[in-house]
Formats: sequence, C-alpha cells, structure tokens
Amino acid sequence: MSEEKYADYIEAVIKECPDATPAEVAEAFAKYEQEFYIPPQDAMRSVLRRFKSGTSPTPSRSTGSTAQRETKKVALLTELTGDDRDVEIEVAIMTHNVRDQLIRGEEKKIAFGFLEDNPWEENGKRTRWDFKDWGPHANLAAGSIVRIEGASVNEYNGKMSLNINQSTRIVVLKEGVPTQVSSNDPIEINDVPADGYICVVGRVLASRPDQIHRKDGSGSIDVVRGRIADQTGTIGFLSWEPFEHEVGTLLKIDGAQVRSFRDTPELNFGRTTRIEIFHDAQFSDLDTLSQTTMQTISSFRDGSRDVDAVVQITEWTKRSFTRDGEEKFLWSGQVADPSGRCRMSAWEELPIDENALPITVKLSGVRIRAWQGIPDITVDKADQVEILDSPPWDEGLDLTNHAVDVSLTDLVAGPSRVGIQSTGMVVSVREDSGFIKRCTECRRVLRDGSCADHGANDGNEDIRLRLVVDDSGATTAVLVNKVATLSLLGMTEEAMHGAVEDKGDLGFVQHLREQILGRTVSVSGRSIVDDQGAMVLCDGIEVVESDSQMRASELRVLWGWA
Amino acid sequence: MESRRIQRQPAHLLLASEFGSSTLHEKGSGEYDPSFVITKLGAKVNRVVAAGLLERLELRETSNGSTLFQGQLRDPTGLHYFSVGDYNSEMMRELSHQWVERIDDGEPLLVMMTAKSRWYQTDEGAVYTSLRPEEACVVSREVYANWLLDACESTMKRMNAYTSSLEVEPTMEAYGRQKLDTSLLAARNHYGEIDLEPFKLNLMQALDIAEGRIEAATTAPPVMSLPTGEEGSEESGAELTTFLRQAIQQLDQGEGVDFDTLLKNAAARGHLREKAESIIEELLESGQLEEPRFGWFRLASSD
Repeated sequence: MSEEKYADYIEAVIKECPDATPAEVAEAFAKYEQEFYIPPQDAMRSVLRRFKSGTSPTPSRSTGSTAQRETKKVALLTELTGDDRDVEIEVAIMTHNVRDQLIRGEEKKIAFGFLEDNPWEENGKRTRWDFKDWGPHANLAAGSIVRIEGASVNEYNGKMSLNINQSTRIVVLKEGVPTQVSSNDPIEINDVPADGYICVVGRVLASRPDQIHRKDGSGSIDVVRGRIADQTGTIGFLSWEPFEHEVGTLLKIDGAQVRSFRDTPELNFGRTTRIEIFHDAQFSDLDTLSQTTMQTISSFRDGSRDVDAVVQITEWTKRSFTRDGEEKFLWSGQVADPSGRCRMSAWEELPIDENALPITVKLSGVRIRAWQGIPDITVDKADQVEILDSPPWDEGLDLTNHAVDVSLTDLVAGPSRVGIQSTGMVVSVREDSGFIKRCTECRRVLRDGSCADHGANDGNEDIRLRLVVDDSGATTAVLVNKVATLSLLGMTEEAMHGAVEDKGDLGFVQHLREQILGRTVSVSGRSIVDDQGAMVLCDGIEVVESDSQMRASELRVLWGWA
Repeated sequence: MESRRIQRQPAHLLLASEFGSSTLHEKGSGEYDPSFVITKLGAKVNRVVAAGLLERLELRETSNGSTLFQGQLRDPTGLHYFSVGDYNSEMMRELSHQWVERIDDGEPLLVMMTAKSRWYQTDEGAVYTSLRPEEACVVSREVYANWLLDACESTMKRMNAYTSSLEVEPTMEAYGRQKLDTSLLAARNHYGEIDLEPFKLNLMQALDIAEGRIEAATTAPPVMSLPTGEEGSEESGAELTTFLRQAIQQLDQGEGVDFDTLLKNAAARGHLREKAESIIEELLESGQLEEPRFGWFRLASSD
C-alpha cells in the first residue's frame, strides 16, 4: 500500500539508483514519515543520498542507522540486533490491543501487544517481545501466527521490541482463535518482575478512588489505587478502569502490566486486564495477610507506599525551615529494627518525649523515600504512628549499635542499608589510600590541591582507605574512615605520618597491601547501592584471623576425606 | 538515560591447574566489554586472586625498547604465568624490579596477586592463559595457607555445581532454574565431559600444604632437570616412594588408581615423571603394589 502511496517518489529514486528495490525505497519513505514525521517530498534528498551511497559495491556498515537495507530474514528474535531495519520473521501474536494516540495533534489508532517467535514448535523455547503496530494492520489479531515482512527493531534502555510500520506486510499463516487470550499461570507477588505482563491471585487489602492530572493541564483521569496481597507479600495497584471490588475480595488478575516507580513495582490494570473473583477456601484471610504485610527496614524500597512496620525511634529532633516566607516544622530522626537502621521524617508532631528514647512505634500506611539510597520513612499524619509499650523483639537488643550480618552477595543485590556488617577478601588497595586533603568548604577530596566546586584551597587533612572487597562473585568498594583505618593498622596518626615519610606515599600503600591484600576482612558501616555498583562506608574493619590447620582439617571432614 | 557503566568484575580464587587448563574465551562485542576465560569447572574469569611461590621472574627487553617482566607463580597444582609490562602501574613495575633482585639472591618469595586474566592463541591453534598482575605483595605462609583453603573451597563449589549440572538438561532455562551459572553450560559445551579426579587430587594436595604436611611451598622451587648426584636422587626416591604409596591409599576408591593420575600428582610435587614411572615399576615387582587391571594400581592387599 505504501508503494502506491509513494509511487512517484519511488520512481524518481529508482531512476537515480537502479539497484534499489521499490519495496525498500518505500520503506525508507515510510520510516521518515512515521518515525520522524517527514513527508516524502522533504525526505527525497535524504533517501536519494542513502541509496546512492548504497550503490557502491561494498556496503559500509558505518553509516549509522541507515546501514542495514537488505531484508534480514530470521527465525528467532534473538538473531536480531537493535539496528535491524527491514526484518522478516514468523511469530505468534500473543496479545493485541488497540489504543488511540495523539500524534502531532492528530488522533491515531495504533496497536500494541507482545509476540513470540518460534511459533510452530509445540512447547519449544520462545522469546517474547513487545510490538507496536503503527498501521494498524487489520489482519493482526491475538492468537494468530503471522509472517511479518519489513518490520524494524527498536532498542530502548536495553529492551528490544518490534516496530510494525505502515509499510510492513503482514501475512496471516494461521488464523487466531479470538477467544484465546494468553493466560499466564498466576505467580506469587514476591516474584513479580520489574516489568512485563503477569497474572496474580491476591486479596484486596485497600482500594480508594484517585485522580491523575494530566501534566499539560488538559484534564484529569479517574483511577483507583490500592493494594493486594498474597502469602508472599503485597503490591500496590493502579486501575485505569473502574474497579469496584471491596477490600477482602479474592481476585484473579490476568494481564496486569507491571511498571516500576523508583525501585517499587506496581500493577497497572487496563482495558485488557481480566479481573475475576477467585474461589480458594485455603487462601489466607484478610487478618492473616495484614499481619504478613508488616515490613522490616531491610525490605524497604524507595517509592513504596502503604507500608506497615514496627520500628524503634532512637533519635528524634524538631527542625524548622521557611518556605514561601512561612516557618514550617519537620521532625526527623533515626529508627531501627533488628534488620537494620534508617531515617524517619514526620510532617506532624508526634507525641514523643525526646528524653524517653528509645520508643517503639507501629507505623501504618507510611511512605518510603530514599536519600543516597538510604530509606527514609515519611509520616504524613500523626495518626499513622501508634506508640507501643515494648518492642516485639528481645528488649535487650541495643539497636543503636546493632550491626546486621549480611552476605556480600545480598548486600550488593539489595537496597542501600545502614548498620550492616559483611565479610570478604580484599582484592584491591587503591593507591589513593592513606592521607588525603578534603576541601574546607564541602569535605570533598581535593585533586591536585583543588576542589571541583570551590577551587584551590589548603584543605583539611584526613585519613582513609579505599579498598575493593569481593566474596563469591560479588564485589564492593569499601571506604574506611580515619578511626577505623588507624585501628586496623594499630597506629596513631603521628606514627602513620612517620611511616608515610619513611616509605613515601606509594611505599606506604605497598605496606598496606602486604598487610591486607588477599586477606579476609569483616567490614561494618553503611552501604550505598546504585547503578555503579555497591559501596560500603566503613567505620570498622578487622582482618579475620583463622587457623589454617584447623580449617584444613575441618574441610577434610566436610568433604569426607578425613 | 545514562549509559550503563562498566562495572568492576569480581575476582575468582583459582588454583593454577584450573586456570592453566582453560582454553575457552569469551568477549562481548563492545570495545570496552570485559574479556573472560572460562575454565573447565565453569568459572567465568576476568580477574583472579592467585598466590604461590614466585618461581621465576625475568626482565626482558622487547624489540621496541619497552621492558617486560615475565614470571611464574607456583601453587600446589601447577604454574601461573604472568607478565608485567609498561602498561602496569609504576608500583607493580617497581615491585617486579625488587623481586627480580631478591629471587636472584635465592630468597624464596610467597606472593599474592590480583590479576587480570589473559588469553592467547598461537598460529597452530594452541590456547594459553596467563595473568597480568594489578596489585601484588609478599605474604606469610599462614596467609598463603588460608588463601589456599579459600581457593579450595571455591574450587569445591564449582566441582559440586559441575556434578549437579550433569543431571540437568543442557539448556539456558534449565540451568537458570537450577541456579547454575550459564558459563558452566558454555564450559560443558566446549570441554565436554571432564574428569574431576585431577581437581580432587589438587585439593587434597592443597589441604596437605595448608596443614603443613608438605614443605613444598616455602622451599626453593623443585629442580626439574635430570638428577646429577646419586645421593640426591636416592633421597627423593625414598620420598617419592612414600608419596606414591600415600597417594594410592588416599585415592583408591576400590578400583585402584590410574597411572596417569599418579604421575600427574608426582609431577605436581616436583618429582620427575620418569622417576615416578620406575618407582611404580619397582613397587609392582616387589609385590607392594597390585595392578588389578591394566594401568590401574592399588596397594597389595597383604598390607
């Protein structure tokens, strides 16, 4: 159809570039039009240039996105790369939804869903991708198996999907059964992935109508927000369609889309989501589920809402700030439970006597924010906090200095945490370990006597170690503070000055390596985990001494070689 | 969106034999993608913590005028080959200079190093692995022994994973379900069935050393040339006899121990292969050993 649409232009291009085929020229025009909104007359020069350069005998792949012009015929999605532009593949259309989208002020229908490759093999291995059909093609339907000719691959944030363009040909190989909507087996809430379409069975814990205001001010959308739970956990949901199930109802929800806000996944119910009442007498009742929804500090994720937890407040102070010329108050402090420590902030005054700390409180429906990855509980209303007489854990536990043992593997995979302790092998002592100068303004480490923000200054002297510690395939940077460094080395600051003068900066680093490289250490402090990996800000480090003969004998017994 | 940063690769604790026998290599397509060596036990290695006796370290002048140190690090299971060149830190080169002198003075040095794995293939197709040290230091025997045990434990983990993988259908999904590394699948596809026995022997040797049963690690490197003095060879002959008997006793699981395993073990402890062969022959003739089937030996039942 697009060949007809662009016929005059195609003819002109073919005249100049006899090697080009009408189909690929048409696709080029379609691509300009659909992906960049460039009409054929304006795209003409670019298309010509592209096909002219393509007439040279050795097609160069270095011309960026326009390089791939030959139809790439593949059997599996995994054979495709992010810059494939003209793809032919046979797939099964698993879901197919049509929606209206405003493109350049014009209401357009587009279709989306997901498809799977390897459609003919029963129970074979299938790869699943999202697709978008910009046609949309009338012969594309859920449940059918089709050959797609001339689709392009889209790669965004490492996720691959298929763009079916207006010029793409769809050949239906097997008609779909309209009633057959892909039904996934229900998964446990604890196993909900960060994105994708899933099916869960859960009980409604909370539900309330809400409105989402369009950012462009063009109005608002009525939605329902809430939370559902099963034995493994709870998850928030957002329904774009009317949702009238009462709290306590057990539901099977198929085709819910998972989206993640910050680190917290949330279920989205839309037009294609099927929600039905589910009957299972064995399923936990509301009371039991509410009990299990209690979270611990170690499980807090940035962006969570409706969180229930019992924590102990160990520090609490009132702070004031001015906003819009008005003085406002904020209460904040440190809290802890046996799984770790974090911060808490309240926007209303809580009935807490700062002299009676620690105080144990039960929190209901609070929000979790995170700063530098460390969770910060936000209390919006004082009635979210209930003071308990005693903690539900051993009262003798001193949580202010309590360090929770976490394996390095869990530490690296988990959220940022305060009050942890972990063990691993020192695999690197960085050359900038030892004496450093910090900016007098911002405490950042000076490079060549100069701070990135505050320029050259004399700086304040500090001591730190920069290490890398590994364990079982997990790796973390460790920054050891002054007190812990001196204690590890068994030195005073003066003695360390002497040692550095004696050996030189690098000589001193080598001296450090002789003492700790390849050694197993236990580090305590707080962890920051982000895209760049994990880092432990360490306020205590010790070399773990062990008796090799004993260990060897133990291993012999363990392995049955005694 | 910020591009994904290259994250630091964790270090593997590897005994020399596992690393040295690797012939599988993996590298992503991107310019900065890390490169890996995949061992027979499925460890996917970009960075290694190795330790052992610094057996050789020599300074070479290369044709283009740069300097290159080449060395060997011996652990109970074999040798790591490493090189330190101009691409290394000043510290590492300075250290190499010092160590060359100390080795020339005959000082035994136990060395611990973190290093990047290297891989190259000759024109004939033979594959060699080697190390490029990043940081290194001289360690005490006790530290070395503990490292050995750490390395043994991590080797054992991989051996166990390998054993359990034999039951698993060789597909990515099946491995994923069983929480097995996909690099183990790559290893299985590349190396085929492997014999765990040599690895097990290596661990036994390493345990011996960690327990202080063998002085091998802190004495001078074994001389691998033909024996010159009668005296020396007699002494090592007695030692070798004792060792072979011990090894057979330890390794025999009913069917005896095969010839190759014994020789490998003897060689790993610095004994000459020919010598070991002749001693096995002697023991057999004197009736101390039996050969229940060709090439398999066990201690005579009269013991």
